[in-house]
Parts: sequence; C-alpha cells; structure tokens
Amino acid sequence: MNLWDQWKKGFGAWETATAAYLEQVLANPSVLGPAGAMLTAAMKTKAATDKATHSWWAAIGLPTRRDQERGLHKLNQLESRIADLEEQLAAARRPQ
Amino acid sequence: MSVEKKGLLATLTRLGSRLGKGLPDVGQTLHDVVWHENKWRLLRFRATRPAGERWRTPILLVPSLINRWYILDLRPGKSFIEYLVNAGHDVYCIDWGTPTAEDRYVTFDDVCQGYIGRAVRKVAAASPDGATHVLGYCLGGTLATIHTAANPTHVASLVALAAPIDFAHGGTLAQWTRSPGFDVGALVDGFGNVPWPLMQASFQMLKPTLNLVKLVALVDRAWDDEFLDGFLATERWGNDNVSFPGECYRRYIDELYRDNRLANGTMRLAGREARLDAIDCPVLAVTFTHDHIVPLASAAALLDGVSSPDKAQLELGGGHVGAVVSRKAAQGLWPQLSRWWVARDTDAARGLPGDDDEAAPDPAAPEPR
Repeated sequence: MNLWDQWKKGFGAWETATAAYLEQVLANPSVLGPAGAMLTAAMKTKAATDKATHSWWAAIGLPTRRDQERGLHKLNQLESRIADLEEQLAAARRPQ
Repeated sequence: MSVEKKGLLATLTRLGSRLGKGLPDVGQTLHDVVWHENKWRLLRFRATRPAGERWRTPILLVPSLINRWYILDLRPGKSFIEYLVNAGHDVYCIDWGTPTAEDRYVTFDDVCQGYIGRAVRKVAAASPDGATHVLGYCLGGTLATIHTAANPTHVASLVALAAPIDFAHGGTLAQWTRSPGFDVGALVDGFGNVPWPLMQASFQMLKPTLNLVKLVALVDRAWDDEFLDGFLATERWGNDNVSFPGECYRRYIDELYRDNRLANGTMRLAGREARLDAIDCPVLAVTFTHDHIVPLASAAALLDGVSSPDKAQLELGGGHVGAVVSRKAAQGLWPQLSRWWVARDTDAARGLPGDDDEAAPDPAAPEPR
C-alpha cells in the first residue's frame, strides 16, 4: 500500500470517529441551550437597534426602510390579487 | 491516473488549473418562462419530441424554497429534467428566484397556496385532463404535499422526493429547532429573511467533517474529469442558496418542526384543512437510506397518512443530494420515476408509438404498498 492510500485510511478512521463525536456534541442540550440563547440575544439586540434607528428616522418625517418594504410587499400582493382575478375571469368566460 | 502515480504536487497543480477555468455551466436545458410573479417564475422545458409523441399529463417540479432549481438540471447529459424531456414528458419547474428585503412579509400561505397553487393551475390548464403530476424535492415536497392536501383538484399524482413529512422523526435539525434556546421570532424580527449563509452553516453542522471528506475526495479523484465536472457543478449549486422569507420561515418552524401539524392532522392552509388523508391521488414517496438531512422515517411517513389506494415507497441508497444527481440516479431513480408517471398517465396506452425504450410502462415499477 502506498503512502497516499495509507494516509487516506488513517483520515477515514479519524473522520468516522470525529464525525460521530461532533454529532453528539452538537445535539447535546448543554451546547444547544447556550448557542440558541446567544443567537437569540444577538437577534433581539439587532431588532432593538433597527427599531431605534427607524424611530429616529421616522421622527424627522422620512420613510423608513420598513415603510418601503411594506409598500413593495403591498404592490406584490396587489399583483397576485390581479392575477387571481384574471384567472377567475378566464374561468367565468370559459364555455361550460 | 491517480495521486500515487502522478504525485501530490502535480495533482494539486492540476486541481488549481482546473478550478482556475471557472465553474461549469448549469441549468442548460432550453426553457421558456411561462409565468412570473413577485420573484418566482414558472419554467417550461422545450420538448424534443412532436406533440403526438409526448405523454399526456405534464409534470410540475417543485424544488426546495431555499435551493436553486437547477439541481434538477445540473449539466447536459447529467440532468434529470433533460432526461424527462427526452423521454417524452412535458416538464415544468418552479424557479423560486431570490427574495429581497420586502419578502420578509411573504407568508407560508402566499408560497404554499398562492404561488404553488398558481403554478399547479397554470400547468394543469395546459393539460388535456386539467391535471398535472407534481414532484416536490425536499422542502418543495413538503410544500407540494400540504398544497395537495388542501387543494387536490388539479393534482394527477404526487411524488415526494426526500420530503420531510413527520417532523417527530426530523433528526438533528428538528432537535435544534425544538431547543428551548432557539427563538424563531427573534431570528425573523432581527434578520427579516433568514439569511442563506446561516441556513447553509446549519446544514454543514449536521456533518461537520463533510467538507474535509469532500476535499480529500477532490484530491483523490483530481485526474477524473467526469468526476470533477460533476463535483464542481454540485458545489456550485450547494453554495448558491436562497434566503428564506421571514414570515414563511416563522410558520414553517412553529407549525411543522415544533407542532408537527402535517403529521398529526391539524395543518391549515389559507383557512382550509390540509390533512394528509385528503390526498387520494397516486402517491410515491422516494426515500434515501443515508439521507442525513431528511431521515428516512420522516419522508416515508407520507404513506401512512394519505388515503390513496395507489401508493408506494421507493427506497434507494445514497444521500439527500447525491442520490438525485449522481450517475447511479441517472440509471436508477430517473427511469423509475419516468416509468411510474407513464404507468399512471391518463392515456398510457397511447404512449410513444413504436417506442419500446425506457419510457414504456415497466412491470418492475414500484409495487403499491
């Protein structure tokens, strides 16, 4: 057996053992709990910062990013409703 | 040729030179955009056979909401869609597109009832019988199943390809989403759309050593051009993901991963009940033995819930992606799916005149369970 094959065999053995170990670690509640709490804390901080920024921006009478997003979303919804009505109209016109 | 014959340095040099040529082209089967709405598009693939020689009922492919559609049309000669088109099927596929900031407000009902519903109706309208076969892959299979449960009218048959149904058997991903520390509301409020790098990192953490394994395989088979083309195309797809619309994600996690509503019969879609037992069309659940993303038990549960007299499970070896795009899939899964649809075509006897190729009905097709 040459060197590369020997190395691959060793890597395979290491990988099998390590993957099984890491899968156990990553499914462990004592790891998941703090990791989830950190993610949640970071997200709540981001949401609070965004809200404060938007409030300040809105206070000087300017549309916020959220306002623009809501407006665009309403336009998309309107497009879908028009397509629904077109379908209903086509169905009503279709000979029975 | 191999690493031991060529030497490690020459192998790495070759890999560097091959990677320097760029990534292979993907999604090359000719198609037309027959509908677009918000970011999603409905693609229809150009037929290679005249109208009289094609199967009667069209097929609608619903890929996962967070992955690109072209996994089903990876490369010429290695494409599921190209295979189906050449076998005489009329193939449509949803391209979910790329959500932008305003799509944080897109809801589960918008996607599952609105967008999939429109795609099903558009495809069914082009069919002589007003119905279409539907195949959903991964999350696309879950969405297609929920849609069919609430709106069975235009669905001629349903194929759920590695689609999670029973989230009580959802594996490590389900365990993570049910962890008390994970607050889906905070995630959606903070990010809007759930960013694809976060989801990709989660999938990679399911098999933390997988990237190293891929790297070793890449070096080991660096002189195999066919392998390299397939590997690079798959990696291109694997690193080209889509963010999850925020409100849709919130309900997906709460109602499916946490409350398991689809399996326990309490799912609702746009005000309608979406119960699995409302599905009575032919159903095929395709499951993969080594699928670490959607465990076999989660995908196979579809058959326990539906009331279809014609239902079957096709269990194959391989993993979540490899089993769908590999050379083995081209020789096994793709022809089996084509035969399953052909056997359930409303005008199967018409078939492809004078043609006894792989598209003909096959008694070896999966038996009803």
